[in-house]
Amino acid sequence: MEDIIIRMISRISVPFIMVFGFYIILHGHLTPGGSFSGGAVLGSSMILFALAFDLEEGHKKLSHKTSTLIETGGASWFVLLGLVGIYAGTGFLANKTGGFPMGVPGELVSGGMIALITLGLGLKVASTVITLFYNLIEGDSHD
Amino acid sequence: MTTAMNIIQGHSPALIVVTFLLFSYLMPVLDSWKKNWCATLAIAAHVLALFFTGILAWQVFTTGTVTYHMGNWPPPWGIEFVIDYLAIFMLTTITVVSLLILIFATKDLGHELKAQVSSWYYTLYLLLVGAMIGLAITNDFFNMFVFMEIAAISACGIIAIKEDKECVEASFKYLILSAVGTGCVLLSVAMLYMVTGHLNFTFAAEALVPALELYPNNILVALALFSAGFIVKAALFPLHVWLPDAHSSAPSPSSAILSGLVIKIYAYAYLKLLLKVFPGDIFSMVPIYDMILILASLSIFFGSLFAIVQEDIKRMLAFSSIAQIGYVFLGIGLANQAGLTGGILHIFNHALMKAMLFLSAGAIIYCTGIRNIDQLKGIGAKMPLVMGVFAVGAMSMVGIPTTNGFISKLYLALGTLDAGKPFYLGVILVSSFLNVIYYFPIVINAFFGEPGEEPENDIPVKKLPLEMSIPLVILAAGILFFGIFPRHMLILVERAVAIF
Amino acid sequence: MTDIALKLFDNMYYLVSMVLFIIGFHTMLTHSNLIKKVIGMNVMDTAVFLFFVSTGYVAGGVAPIIEPGVEQTYINPLPTALILTGIVVAVSVTAFALALIVKLYHHYGTIDAEEIMRIRSTE
Repeated sequence: MEDIIIRMISRISVPFIMVFGFYIILHGHLTPGGSFSGGAVLGSSMILFALAFDLEEGHKKLSHKTSTLIETGGASWFVLLGLVGIYAGTGFLANKTGGFPMGVPGELVSGGMIALITLGLGLKVASTVITLFYNLIEGDSHD
Repeated sequence: MTTAMNIIQGHSPALIVVTFLLFSYLMPVLDSWKKNWCATLAIAAHVLALFFTGILAWQVFTTGTVTYHMGNWPPPWGIEFVIDYLAIFMLTTITVVSLLILIFATKDLGHELKAQVSSWYYTLYLLLVGAMIGLAITNDFFNMFVFMEIAAISACGIIAIKEDKECVEASFKYLILSAVGTGCVLLSVAMLYMVTGHLNFTFAAEALVPALELYPNNILVALALFSAGFIVKAALFPLHVWLPDAHSSAPSPSSAILSGLVIKIYAYAYLKLLLKVFPGDIFSMVPIYDMILILASLSIFFGSLFAIVQEDIKRMLAFSSIAQIGYVFLGIGLANQAGLTGGILHIFNHALMKAMLFLSAGAIIYCTGIRNIDQLKGIGAKMPLVMGVFAVGAMSMVGIPTTNGFISKLYLALGTLDAGKPFYLGVILVSSFLNVIYYFPIVINAFFGEPGEEPENDIPVKKLPLEMSIPLVILAAGILFFGIFPRHMLILVERAVAIF
Repeated sequence: MTDIALKLFDNMYYLVSMVLFIIGFHTMLTHSNLIKKVIGMNVMDTAVFLFFVSTGYVAGGVAPIIEPGVEQTYINPLPTALILTGIVVAVSVTAFALALIVKLYHHYGTIDAEEIMRIRSTE
């Protein structure tokens, strides 16, 4: 599809959608939403880009290999944060007792590890959504 | 060093699940970086899990039940893991059998799968084993639901990974039916949460006793939905339709783990819910045990009957699994000491037997490419080891003394007599007879049958690699060992049953 | 009669979720189109989610975002949080099912379950 209007609009709006996605992810412990909703927004911004231009263009921005790496990284990040609690001597996924600073409730830096977890998982969800999209689209053409 | 020991001792319930999850996530990255490390790493994960299981078993045997609170949140709020004798029994079964299947898989996969997906197979396999272990030790309704879904998706994945026509279709059927199952389970969790306000098994069980007076209908509906969900998942007779396709078309290691472990973990979870969570009074309101007994006998009978007419060896083994899961449910339905012992012991025994039978069927397919039972005539001379262990498995399926199948059937038979229901003793005897009909001709034909004159019987036989023969031998040795010296396993199972 | 109707009206969420559950279940089991089966599965899941979330609802309650100094009734956040997980699981199951349907279409050239059965039986 070669439509200049769609391409221009999506080129302009994709960065804003991404910022909104990161906003939802980072405010997961304060407002409704979190890693899944924010990650889905992030992922759909890439899907919009790939649909407005073409799949090859989208691939250049985020290749399969990178998205696999992000997926693995997000999941392992979650496990590693859980292991911090064990290292601190309390329990798996311990938050306050695991030594994470709690901050003032209601501010951005609060809730200890929750923001870190949502960041990792949000990126994982985003890359998963993108991978699912590519796999479904390419399912016909590849093999 | 001592801190490391302390960490491992205190946190092994969490670490055993986390190990599998972490290693499974690492596989896709390793795939593009160091491809030949994947199999080694998967085996390393299993060895670590065996180590943690050993520590947990030691703790349970010395100090009693081990509990673990995720994130240091105590039970009514947080997720709790509870490891008692029953969980130790399940953990041992899962880790040992899946390790042996994995060792077999490292060679077999190269023959059954495309090269680029084999590392993804390990991802799914480790996820499946991790989810099963989580399911075995969790003490929380919602956590159980999540592990069930992980297990369902990864089980569908290791069926569909071959990308055959049959595999994809079987996997889709399994996915849809297991979605029905988990949907029912989630609905009944909601029903129980409504009346108790707890998701923890222990707390819900306490709250259910007074709740049964106030809201009997809710709890009855919850029981019905739980039963329906788990019976779909465990493939008991009327709801078994997904199993034969799924287990026969999947790659052989997948069939072995699906038939050996996955269907049984749901039987185990159902047993745990039925006996630990639901209040005892409910069984006087609805004859759930009798219903389970009837379904189990139908399952035993029809599973064996369908197995007789099959021509494909893996399909026959799949139908045989339906019959054998019936034994486990028969034990649950009898609900007395001997019956439960037999049923639970059969989880372990059948895991050994069926894993070994599927793996030896896989070895036959690997070496000769034959799937059809009729063409197996005279194959015993060419592959004495594989057909030898197959014979051991067949004898154990029938329940001949000195094999472990005999022990669990003996206890089930004692259970039927203790419960005063000798009809089900007849079911066990008839089913043993049916097992003879479909297992022994294969063994007899393989060793004593004359191969036909047709040219297709002169298939060149590949040599079986050591990685594939060792698990077979270990499993066969296990069958004989636990048949002749059943005492160790019986002590564990009897202690597990004592808590009910 | 009005008594029953009033009772049903009071528990409207439960009633609607049960109706949805049955619609989804029926769609899933009776339609031979595989995509419709997946849609039925989703409707069924949604019904369960609605049921679960409505168990945590308190009349007049608001989302539990605590503002210091304001006294309010809050709904029970636990079912909501759990159902978020449930939705994620349902999404992944749906995605996997759709991927399998793509593969099935690739192999058989149709997404009709009965057609697939017919092709398989003639092979």
